[in-house]
Amino acid sequence: MTRSTNTKVAFSHLTSRVKQSIVAVLSVTFGISMYIFMNGFMTGVNDIQADLAFSSLAHIRVYNDLPEDRSDLISDDQMPSQLVNLRHPKVIQYSEGINNVDREISILGQFDGITEITSQVNMNVFFRNGSTRVSGVLNGVNAAKEDRLFGMAASMKSGNWLDLDHRSDGIILGVGLAKRLSLGMDDNVFLKTGDGITRNFKIIGLLETSLNSIDNSKAYVRINSARQLVSENQSYATDIQINLTDFENAEAMAAQMRQYTDFKVESWNEANGQLEAGNELRNYLALAVSLTILLVAGFGIYNIMNMTVNEKIREIAILKAMGFEGWDIVEIFLTQSLIIGLMGGLIGILIGGGVSTIVNNVPFNIASLETLPMAFRKSDYLSAFVFGLLTTFIAGYLPARKASLIDPVEIIRG
Amino acid sequence: MENTYALKATGINKFFHQPTEFQVLKDISFEAKKGEFLSLVGKSGSGKSTLLYVLSTMDTDYEGTLSINDESLTGKGQNELAAFRNANIGFVFQFHYLLPEFTTLDNVMLPALKLGRKSKEEIRQSALDKLELLEIKDQAHKSANKLSGGQQQRVAIARALINDPAIIMGDEPTGNLDSKNTDIVFDIFRQLAKYRGQTIIAVTHDDDFAAKSDRVLELSDGYMVA
Ligand SMILES: Nc1ncnc2c1ncn2[C@@H]1O[C@H](COP(=O)(O)OP(=O)(O)O)[C@@H](O)[C@H]1O
Ligand SMILES: [Mg+2]
Repeated sequence: MTRSTNTKVAFSHLTSRVKQSIVAVLSVTFGISMYIFMNGFMTGVNDIQADLAFSSLAHIRVYNDLPEDRSDLISDDQMPSQLVNLRHPKVIQYSEGINNVDREISILGQFDGITEITSQVNMNVFFRNGSTRVSGVLNGVNAAKEDRLFGMAASMKSGNWLDLDHRSDGIILGVGLAKRLSLGMDDNVFLKTGDGITRNFKIIGLLETSLNSIDNSKAYVRINSARQLVSENQSYATDIQINLTDFENAEAMAAQMRQYTDFKVESWNEANGQLEAGNELRNYLALAVSLTILLVAGFGIYNIMNMTVNEKIREIAILKAMGFEGWDIVEIFLTQSLIIGLMGGLIGILIGGGVSTIVNNVPFNIASLETLPMAFRKSDYLSAFVFGLLTTFIAGYLPARKASLIDPVEIIRG
Repeated sequence: MENTYALKATGINKFFHQPTEFQVLKDISFEAKKGEFLSLVGKSGSGKSTLLYVLSTMDTDYEGTLSINDESLTGKGQNELAAFRNANIGFVFQFHYLLPEFTTLDNVMLPALKLGRKSKEEIRQSALDKLELLEIKDQAHKSANKLSGGQQQRVAIARALINDPAIIMGDEPTGNLDSKNTDIVFDIFRQLAKYRGQTIIAVTHDDDFAAKSDRVLELSDGYMVA
């Protein structure tokens, strides 16, 4: 019964100072909608960055990592009584690539959460047309699987990506590369490997990904054609590329995979530190900005609640004189700030969603974007609301406590 | 019989430290019997209000002891005292403080809602009864800030009565009232003391009012001289 009485007093305070109440609600509204917008925008940017990056980078890559540090070859596995036969380390032959790729794929493919796994034979080559010579990268791929990993088919400027699987003499060039070679569809291109093997391919497609690193230097052939170029058999590959249902799991998954293979297992975070650093920095930025905004909103509420306390100080004194306890007074003022927080929170969510939608429709024609990126995540809206309530709670509690400590005699004596 | 005393104050001293060290109340001891109607008189500045705040448990910064209904109140915590006041003391302030946005009826109901011993409907009914007693029931649904000073004072008295407190204290409760309403209030206090055994302690400047009460206490320079 006291509760409903306290609530009634709280409402009378809110309704007797409509203007201030509205200002308080608006400051929460502002804080929460900005919080939602900032986080949605940053997440949107991160997602776009990830999309762009993952159009050429797999979540996990497995390859043969030749030991680079050759200065200490005897410390591993050395027993006191063991004799070590050490020749000049540069003479030691290491096998390159993955020689039994089917076995590796069947082992690694058993992990849960893998959406696609494929092998590649990649090498540096020279492309030649007449006297023009351009160095680039040749990827021998399984076209269907490659498409499921990186969405190649959607980036074709001309020709059909999947034709690659049926044409052993077909090659698909990045548009930039083709331009540098002054070549077009159905032209022939000569190709020379590092070991001096040459071969003639027919251009059956041109690729335009908007990523210069691909468009200007990459070419794709059927994986078996690439194997022939390096004189390797059907079970040879240089890389295994793996995509996961959730790329955030890549690091943990890679760690597990390492226990099942001797090859180097590299998650995208390792391969592209900038991408992760960018994501993290943007997340921190969004957090810092939105917390600052909430803090400002909190100050707004704090000020207004403080004014209310000062204005209603005689009422508080009278309530205490009549036997309302300190906690009742706290409750009266907390109720007010919670009502302000709830209303501001709900309106803030609506406005935050609205502003995000509008910004999401602003044209932005750079790279593969058409409009500004924006993420609409339930969790952002939820945490905005929770943070908003928390802020109002704290901002309301301080004046409420002050009110509860008022000495009624002091006020009533006048 | 010890428990015929409703209120007992022993050796009350009180000091103000601001602006200068100043003793307002000097060794005040007295008792009020159950159902006794006391007037507290004295010149302006003699310490009447200050004494009343001590007796009402609102002011805890004093020396000496205070007990009401044989319950010692000296040294108790603020929240405990608040609950005690709510149930046992009705207070009418010198400047009739009502909650301005609440209706007359809501103002009167407030202490009873806080006490929570009766249903809301019962409280409403008894609040209307108290308003009727003070001949102001017709204003029950008006906002308190729309009432005249005299009306507000009567509402404040009705509010002080709502929990049927053992002691009713008033700081010049009739100060704002005309002689007709002063008589009404005096009669109500008289009835409450006589038939319900409630103790009344009222500060007054009205000599007639004081003369008609059971006993007159007089303060002079912080001493109780009668
Ligand atoms: N908060 C205070 N600080 C200092 N002196 C005060 C304070 N309140 C009252 N006084 C002084 O205490 C004396 C008694 O005041 P009060 O109890 O209000 O007298 P009365 O009610 O009899 O007119 C007066 O001299 C007054 O100036
Ligand atoms: Mg006084």
